[in-house]
Amino acid sequence: MLNTSEKAYCLALLALKRKEYRLAVEQFDKAAPHFKNDKEFNLYRESTRLLLAVKQEVEMIEDEDQLEIEETFQNG
Amino acid sequence: MSQVQVLKSLEGVLESFLEKVVTLKEERLQVLDGINNLDDIARSSEDGFDVTDKVGDWFADHNRWINEQVLRKGDVDRINGILGEIKNQISNTPDTSPASRKISSEINRWSDTELTKQGSEKPVQPQEKIVLKRGPEDITKLSEPTLIDFSKTLMHCDMMLKGLSDKKLHVLSVLDDSLDRAKLQKDKQALILSAFIIYYLKQNAYKVEPYVKRLKEAERLFEEVK
Repeated sequence: MLNTSEKAYCLALLALKRKEYRLAVEQFDKAAPHFKNDKEFNLYRESTRLLLAVKQEVEMIEDEDQLEIEETFQNG
Repeated sequence: MSQVQVLKSLEGVLESFLEKVVTLKEERLQVLDGINNLDDIARSSEDGFDVTDKVGDWFADHNRWINEQVLRKGDVDRINGILGEIKNQISNTPDTSPASRKISSEINRWSDTELTKQGSEKPVQPQEKIVLKRGPEDITKLSEPTLIDFSKTLMHCDMMLKGLSDKKLHVLSVLDDSLDRAKLQKDKQALILSAFIIYYLKQNAYKVEPYVKRLKEAERLFEEVK
């Protein structure tokens, strides 16, 4: 049977295909013990983590902008 | 450029990179997904669930692997191992139904195929330099494509179209991926599929010039590799 890490790597790539990046990162983390020395694996994992971090940052900045706009309306 | 713009630009680059990773690994991913599904079935079987129907469905979906050169030797060994475990579970069941007997014989049939006996591992490139001596030049005649060859190509294009069109809303997105695949993987089927789609779009009054340009570029690279 497949071991947990192999299953997780497969699920991570399938999650990437569906653009479910958070799930992909979770599965990459599960797969990491077995693949930590695999350069290709590390590239995909780190790229996905970075993408998720960037998305969160963008979301946060846009939320801040949203708050400023609301405030302007309230006071103006 | 504002901070958000920089971040969005980076977001676009990363998304595009990961999309290309998935496109490049499409075929491999299908194999891994298939093995993973079979593994899930084997686990359910171990937990005492009746998996006869699921194994039947799995064979229906993946029997084509026997005739296609998609499996590596490691994959074949994995599949055989998992099927062996499922077969053991089925034979340990006291009441063997006709359906489960059929599944057992299907597993035997799979195990008896040439693919399973030999594996289809592609030869590994030797590290050492080798010198090939060739005999006198022959005029090589290109074999004429038969109707069967053409029919097979159409079938492969159809399968590739289904693979590429997953969750896509427009044929242009599929064409985009198909052209990428033709260019990056020097994939002849992808080249043919792209040409089909371009001609179809042209017949439906789409502007196809940029795609024709990309097709010609992919064709040029393919010819270079040949």
